[in-house]
Amino acid sequence: MNYPIDRRPTSADVMALEARFGLRVAARLSDRTHALPHDITERLRSAREQALAKARPRLAAASAAVAVGGSGAATLAAGGSPADSWWWRLSSLAPLALLVAGLIWVHEFHRSEEIVAVAEVDAALLTDAVPPSAYADPGFAEFLKAPLDISVN
Amino acid sequence: MASEKELSDFLKSVERRAFKRTVYAVRDDEAALDIVQDSMIRLAGKYADRPPAEWPLIFQRILSNATMDWFRRQKVRNAVLSNFSDFESGNDAGDFDLLETLEAQDVSEGVESTANVVARNQTLRQIEEEVAKLPTRQREAFLMRYWEEMDVAETAAAMGCSEGSVKTHCSRAVHSLAKALKSKGITL
Repeated sequence: MNYPIDRRPTSADVMALEARFGLRVAARLSDRTHALPHDITERLRSAREQALAKARPRLAAASAAVAVGGSGAATLAAGGSPADSWWWRLSSLAPLALLVAGLIWVHEFHRSEEIVAVAEVDAALLTDAVPPSAYADPGFAEFLKAPLDISVN
Repeated sequence: MASEKELSDFLKSVERRAFKRTVYAVRDDEAALDIVQDSMIRLAGKYADRPPAEWPLIFQRILSNATMDWFRRQKVRNAVLSNFSDFESGNDAGDFDLLETLEAQDVSEGVESTANVVARNQTLRQIEEEVAKLPTRQREAFLMRYWEEMDVAETAAAMGCSEGSVKTHCSRAVHSLAKALKSKGITL
């Protein structure tokens, strides 16, 4: 043992020596792997190719999943900063708001047209002379008998 | 995302060591090739989409399991299990000095570089034989730590044991190897 009297090997020293020895042995073993016979290396190459063929569907599926995730991320990324994203959302809502406003306007326009048409018919009826045959109508007779309730403000 | 090229490169980087490791365990080239092929296919078929950083650990685990499956199929499981517990006694390690072995190896390093090819191959073969003689768990721990360059935690995960057990296996393997190689006059 070559350690000084006041310097006994610690466990760290022993571990370092073991590691050094182990790495040397491993280096020699690696030397041997470089000298493998040709038929062995060919068998290993064939095994590798079979393994890769087996992996292809799995790798393709994983790649497709990443592509889908990536495009989604790209769409989100197109918004840029949060402020940009806010304006992007607002601008995407603008056509919808215009459509709703247009529908409301069309609805109101048709309603006012109907009111005007009904008013014109009413005015025409009220201003025209009552035909004599109307007095033969029981309904009109009842109408005439009913008290006229007109309140004037 | 792992690519086919990454997987191919990984398999290329581990296949030879995996083959040799398996040969040390099963001592049969054909069986070792089958086991390595089976392990590669299992890794590729089930874990190809995992991050490449996880492959080394997963592959070591698969390879160990595939080797054990082979032993089971050979119906020699009991013999293997007896090897698992075949740890050397620490008592005889007291008179053996690893530092002296390494220092002797340092001195002889220049001589090694001038050794002829035949002698060198013979030496390497003897080293392989000594590695193959190690008890299974010691050999696995030793090779994963120093050959596959996995850390203690990774080795423990791959072997399904505690980090303390890995350290113990490695230490015992190193001392056994150093002692055996020294007795044969082999320097590294």
